[in-house]
Amino acid sequence: VKRLLHVLVGLLPTAFRDEFGPDVAEQIERDLEAARTQGGVRVFAFSLATAVDLIWVAAAERLDPTWVGVGLGHKKPSGGDGMMRNWMRDLHVAIRSLRRTPGFTVVAVATLGLAMGANAGIFAVVDKVLIDPLPFPASDRLVVIAASAPGSDFPEEFGVSAEFYQEYRTQTDLIEDIGTTNWFTGTLRVADRIERVPLSMPSPTLFTTLGVDPELGRLPVDEDESAVALISHFAWVDWFGGDPEVIGRSYSINGEMRTVVGVMEADFAYPNDQVLAWIPVPQRAEGIEPGRFGLNLVARLAPDVEVETLVERLTTVAGRLPEKYGGSANYARIIERHRPVVRSLKEDILGGASTSLWVLFGSIGVVLLIACANVTNLFLVRSERRQRDLAVRRAIGAGWSQLVRFQMAEAAIVAGLAGIAALVVARLGLPLLIAAAPPTVPRLGQASLSMSTLVFTFGTSLFAALVCGILPALRGARTQPTGLRDGSRGSTRRRHRGRDALVAAQTSMAFVLLIGSGLLLRSFQELRSVDPGYDIEDVFTFQIAIENEEGLTDGASFARFHLDFMERLAALPGVRSVGIVENVPLNEGVGGVRMVTEDDASEDDAGALLGRTFTAGDYFSTMGISLLRGRTFEEADHLTNDGYVIVSEAAAELLWPGEDPIGRRLQWPALGTWETVVGVVEDVMQYSFRDEMQPLVYFPLVGQSPETYRLSSPAYVVKTSRAGDIAPEVRAIVREIAPTAPMYRVFTMQGLADDSMVALRFTTLALGIASVLALMLGTVGLYGVLSYVVAERTREIGVRMALGAGAERVRRMVVVQGGRVVVVGVGIGLLVSVAATRVLDSLLYGVGTVDVLTFSAVAAAMIVIGLLASYVPARRASSVDPVESLRG
Amino acid sequence: MTQRENEALSTLDYHVLLAMAQGPQYGYAIKSAVESESGGTLRPRAGSLYRVIARLMSHGLVEDAIGVADHERHPGRARKYYGLTLTGRVVLANEAQRLRGAAALADERLGRATGRS
Repeated sequence: VKRLLHVLVGLLPTAFRDEFGPDVAEQIERDLEAARTQGGVRVFAFSLATAVDLIWVAAAERLDPTWVGVGLGHKKPSGGDGMMRNWMRDLHVAIRSLRRTPGFTVVAVATLGLAMGANAGIFAVVDKVLIDPLPFPASDRLVVIAASAPGSDFPEEFGVSAEFYQEYRTQTDLIEDIGTTNWFTGTLRVADRIERVPLSMPSPTLFTTLGVDPELGRLPVDEDESAVALISHFAWVDWFGGDPEVIGRSYSINGEMRTVVGVMEADFAYPNDQVLAWIPVPQRAEGIEPGRFGLNLVARLAPDVEVETLVERLTTVAGRLPEKYGGSANYARIIERHRPVVRSLKEDILGGASTSLWVLFGSIGVVLLIACANVTNLFLVRSERRQRDLAVRRAIGAGWSQLVRFQMAEAAIVAGLAGIAALVVARLGLPLLIAAAPPTVPRLGQASLSMSTLVFTFGTSLFAALVCGILPALRGARTQPTGLRDGSRGSTRRRHRGRDALVAAQTSMAFVLLIGSGLLLRSFQELRSVDPGYDIEDVFTFQIAIENEEGLTDGASFARFHLDFMERLAALPGVRSVGIVENVPLNEGVGGVRMVTEDDASEDDAGALLGRTFTAGDYFSTMGISLLRGRTFEEADHLTNDGYVIVSEAAAELLWPGEDPIGRRLQWPALGTWETVVGVVEDVMQYSFRDEMQPLVYFPLVGQSPETYRLSSPAYVVKTSRAGDIAPEVRAIVREIAPTAPMYRVFTMQGLADDSMVALRFTTLALGIASVLALMLGTVGLYGVLSYVVAERTREIGVRMALGAGAERVRRMVVVQGGRVVVVGVGIGLLVSVAATRVLDSLLYGVGTVDVLTFSAVAAAMIVIGLLASYVPARRASSVDPVESLRG
Repeated sequence: MTQRENEALSTLDYHVLLAMAQGPQYGYAIKSAVESESGGTLRPRAGSLYRVIARLMSHGLVEDAIGVADHERHPGRARKYYGLTLTGRVVLANEAQRLRGAAALADERLGRATGRS
């Protein structure tokens, strides 16, 4: 605010500013300080009043200088060339004329100011997040590389494996540098503070690829092996108090002591802004096991390399991998189908956020257009009201250009004031916008009213001035002196056509936005009514990592710990049931493994890709997942090694189509033992409510030998009506029985479900607000035009009624006129919507982009609203007293 | 523009001159004095206030009085002090005279009006 006011001080004429500038600035600063102590509203009122005052004085002082300097005598300053003086005089006159009609001025400035403010706020975000999201040098050359194998049972897109990296990095004519990246949750321990935090294990080359340097210390090199770590700026401040001595010290990071060699800059947020430490893991060319997919690559392209060229080359390079590295027959089959996926890093980081933000930016732009249309209408009416005045000016010799200029000056001043109001609106609104947006949007917190936002707002201001001013100005300038002769307002039909077109345009724009938010709303409803296979009500979940606890060695001892812990949880007041699963749905996914049945075990590399997880206790009943056949695990299954598993319906259908799976056996080749199916449960959606049902196999807490596997950090689920506030009691038990175990991923299932929809909810809300604004502005526009028409035609209506037209007929005449405009607008809106809603495709769920129900409902609603807006002026028209109207 | 010299002083003009009548003042002190001496009815914004001061200076009622109160100088920068010129004192005195007359007249009329009832 202070900076803005200082800029405005700069508007004062130089001579005036030289003399009084510092004093003016001092007063503003001191009063601003005083206003600050009285709260935001006061600051807002003060800033607005001061801004208006400064602009007013700056304009007045240029037109009619009071400051001519002391000792110079009363010399009149030169005041620029004639053209400038004319403009200044017009502005002066315009300011006076706007001051005489405060109602008009306030409505016009408020309408434009709100719309422009919303635009400025969104622009500040778009500018930071979409236009310049990556704080890396030459970031347009950064790409991510993944793999796809169309036609295989692999996911649509997956990470490559180490041999890809080794071969890709040799393509130095296309790839300048290449690194690997990932992130996971690990334990960070500094003195007494132990937490599960996001960590990353990239290759040392990631940093050179991105082209970043640490704020403190050095980058890792291959020779460091994995004995070192870099920490984020946030971790440096939050965990180490910003102590520079941290470099060279060792801490327990992900279970091992590692030396901190560097602190990254505050704006380094890759792979995301949550990662607290990077543990470099050099990629070795030796000892590669081909086909261990899941490695994410980031590469810096050589200058001027096209993505298509790279894709072609990488396809060839990957095709030769089995020759060089061997691997199974299944690996060869995947490579045969392999197509590299290359995507810009920017696109990769932004993901769905970019669609949401562009949609939002576009729709708020439409709101600005509608606001401009309304203000244009106001100016048109204003210019028509002063036909006589303009005719007089014309008669005494004002030229066409003078009349245009005179009227443009008013629009310029209104738009200028609106620009200032817009900055204030944006300043107040931006924090709200940032708070409402999904937290996954990168760099959102850095959005601010930057220089480019100021320039953008100035641009919209100029745009609004032109758009709102030009039509009325040209219309007004056509006035001929002859207009004075008959003293009437002449024919109105032609003049209305322009305004009708404006209203139709507004209607169609509002219609498109309403369709958009209607579709999103329906998607939202559809998603809410999805049955994911589990209940989200009254379920509390958390994880603890107990790997450092004493006495825990093999799978059986871990299982014993979990069973005991569940008993403690179940004893808490209000707890109905307790269960364990490796990862709860809607949070982290499940690991995918290939499992074979006895039928296909003989074939090489056969089997189906299934999700693998572990469960115990009353997991299924706690989550409301129905048992379809057989039984769930009993306590004994977790302590002995009978080799029982439970499969989901989809898994059963995949492994033994049409047969009874109970008693059948399957093998997880990594374990090498056969497991017998004892139960079949309902399918669940593992990642989000938009998912397919994923085939799942549930293992018990212990394998067929106590050493087979151990479950150190599963998720607990607790069914209780106190899901929202039971956490402290659970934390107390954890502290008691496992003092070094961090408790993390503490959620309610309801909260996770809400989070999974946050992007859709944000877009729905934002587009909803934009479309309601559009509808309101459009309705006001229609109402205003019809009211004006009725007022103007009072005489004509009076004559009609005197000649016997009934009130009913007059009403119908006005409503039909309004209705026609709305129907045309809705028609155009329909056509535009069919094309425009395609941009929403990726956000929609369970509803097509051309949804008949939404389209017809919105069309009907708009026509009804249009008729209502017409009815009020129509009532007024039909109550015209013929005698009264003809007398005037 | 010269005809302005014959115009009556506006209330704000009057209060600005009045503030300086106690000796040269710097800007913010003038603003505070105007606010308190007008009983809060005048709260000049920064731009408007200095436009008035500029006009009064151009018309020779107010002068730059830098150096008069050097000992009070603000540590940051040399503060500007504005003081009345001789003309300014005369104009203020005349205006005060006129106001006194007008006020006496009002008292008289209102007093008589209330006295009668």
